[in-house]
Amino acid sequence: MKNIIQAGFMPLTDCAPLIMASILGLDEKHGIKLALSREHSWSGMRDRLLNGSLDVAHVLYGLIYGVEMGIGTRAVPMAVLMNLSRNGQAITLSRALGEAGVTDGAALAAQVRRSRRRFTFAHTFPTGNHAMFLYYWLAASGIDPLRDVRMATVPPGQMAASLAAGHIDGFCAGEPWGARAVLDGSGFTAATSQDIWPDHPGKALGATAAFADAHPQACRSLVAALLEAARWIEASPLHRDATAEVLASPAYVNAGRAAIAARLHGIYEDGLGRRWQDPDPLRFHAGGEANFPWLSDGMWFMTQHRRWGLLRDDPDYYAVAARVNRVGLYREAAVLAGVAAPAALLRSSVLIDGRIWNGRDPAAYISAFANGAPRPVFGHGAPQ
Amino acid sequence: MLAIIIMNISWRISVARPYFCYASKKYLSGPELAYSQGMKSPPPVPRTLRIVVVNTAQGAGEQAAAAQARRNTALRIGLLESGYDIVASLPADIFLPERIAQIQPDMIIIDSESAARDVLEHIVIATRDEPRPIVLFTDDQDPSSMDAAIGAGVSAYIVAGLQAERVKPVLDVALARFRRERKLLDELSDTRRQLADRKLVERAKGVLMARSGLNEEEAYRKLRSMAMNRKLRLAEVAQRVLDVEDLL
Repeated sequence: MKNIIQAGFMPLTDCAPLIMASILGLDEKHGIKLALSREHSWSGMRDRLLNGSLDVAHVLYGLIYGVEMGIGTRAVPMAVLMNLSRNGQAITLSRALGEAGVTDGAALAAQVRRSRRRFTFAHTFPTGNHAMFLYYWLAASGIDPLRDVRMATVPPGQMAASLAAGHIDGFCAGEPWGARAVLDGSGFTAATSQDIWPDHPGKALGATAAFADAHPQACRSLVAALLEAARWIEASPLHRDATAEVLASPAYVNAGRAAIAARLHGIYEDGLGRRWQDPDPLRFHAGGEANFPWLSDGMWFMTQHRRWGLLRDDPDYYAVAARVNRVGLYREAAVLAGVAAPAALLRSSVLIDGRIWNGRDPAAYISAFANGAPRPVFGHGAPQ
Repeated sequence: MLAIIIMNISWRISVARPYFCYASKKYLSGPELAYSQGMKSPPPVPRTLRIVVVNTAQGAGEQAAAAQARRNTALRIGLLESGYDIVASLPADIFLPERIAQIQPDMIIIDSESAARDVLEHIVIATRDEPRPIVLFTDDQDPSSMDAAIGAGVSAYIVAGLQAERVKPVLDVALARFRRERKLLDELSDTRRQLADRKLVERAKGVLMARSGLNEEEAYRKLRSMAMNRKLRLAEVAQRVLDVEDLL
């Protein structure tokens, strides 16, 4: 059996389960050893997954499906072993917009229509969660993300500086980068990702299908260890504090504890004077509910790839999700960790625009969007 | 590690797409323009490869940034010495896609540890509707040498039309420089570690001599047997001795 697992992570607050599984020795408890590798870009992480120098990774859910479907890269069969997090990303707009009274999507849409300059918004990867949530939010606010504004990909660590310099008007990224922009005064939180979709899927534990097929035992042990780590983090506020402390270290997220801890506890400040305890904060476990590889979660990313022209045709959404998301393996691991796993494969959610996503009729879901049928041309990033 | 991303022609035939429109107007003429308007044969490949090197991003931590900057410099020198034309050395910022669109390089070289890899990914996806398949490096080349390249951290996108024999020498130069630089860095860190280890052992010996009244030779032998019994490195045992000393 393979017992040393090369695991890539990005320096983001939601990498916590991998880090804590290693710190607490939960990997060894399940007979494996995590060899953690801090990655510098999603592209680099993807390449290292594909060439085998990484076995698994803390990765954008949407990226896994992008590779599976061959968007911008060769198509390689992929696997989602579990969901690692829910919620806890944010859309941050520039302080200048906040001072001009643009504090929500509707006001932003009015400003975009009024202004003669073209607005620029940034996400972290073309097929990734942040791009899809940003597009969704803009579209729900009445802004066509591909026609009305310019889109850019910016590494998360450069977001706050780009915002402060006026190179971008807003961005969607994982924490602690939204909190960082609020703390340093370059921006304010216009929406959290849980505003867009309460309890949305976040980072997945991703691998190539080849790895998952070749090492089922190692994968089961790893998922069990990560379930235990996720449960531990949520067991008490003290555990969240300890997690923030560990994450702040240069070896992991390498950011101030202040930027990490508050939002890890669900305490938000938007930078405009509003402070609140979020009812749907970043979650790692939620009794296992947050970790289950719901097929409807995987399908949603494909519907958005289709909606924005990244996918040119309708795939068999259910069949693709059923082969990528390793539900059987997850259920076995859940038994090992003593975690309950739901019986259903689909779940139902209401998103910010009032639409219901339950995975039952993806084609109808897509065609109902006001933006009309999926467009044939993908025009991301067009400077005009 | 290096990632070498090669994109050719796409920036010459993008008249129909908004993204590179202004660049196209400026650069397209003659057969290339005709191609963009629907002719079948690809435009002629330019004689000298136009290479752009993307510099490391700021703020990645001083030490990492310095290491990346060194590798960038090594790479540039290697390519220049081998007679390649580096048309620009660009900062990895938000303007990178626009600058690349203006310069229209044949090849972009970037350290794969750079966060700006994702910015280039944006270009790859934004231009994927061009009549050019993006082909992974491994498809065009001798698989054994390509496995070695991937093992060393090289990945590449090649556009149909840029012949492999023109790409390979550039990659070879880049790889050789990269390996030499890495070897130097490895040697440097080995030396540093050995020095640090030796200091630890010396200090631990001092502690044992003071506490247990051993002479230097005996203290060393005690450390060595502790290391062997615990299957640890000598320096690790020395560190533990010092940790205990700190606690007392």
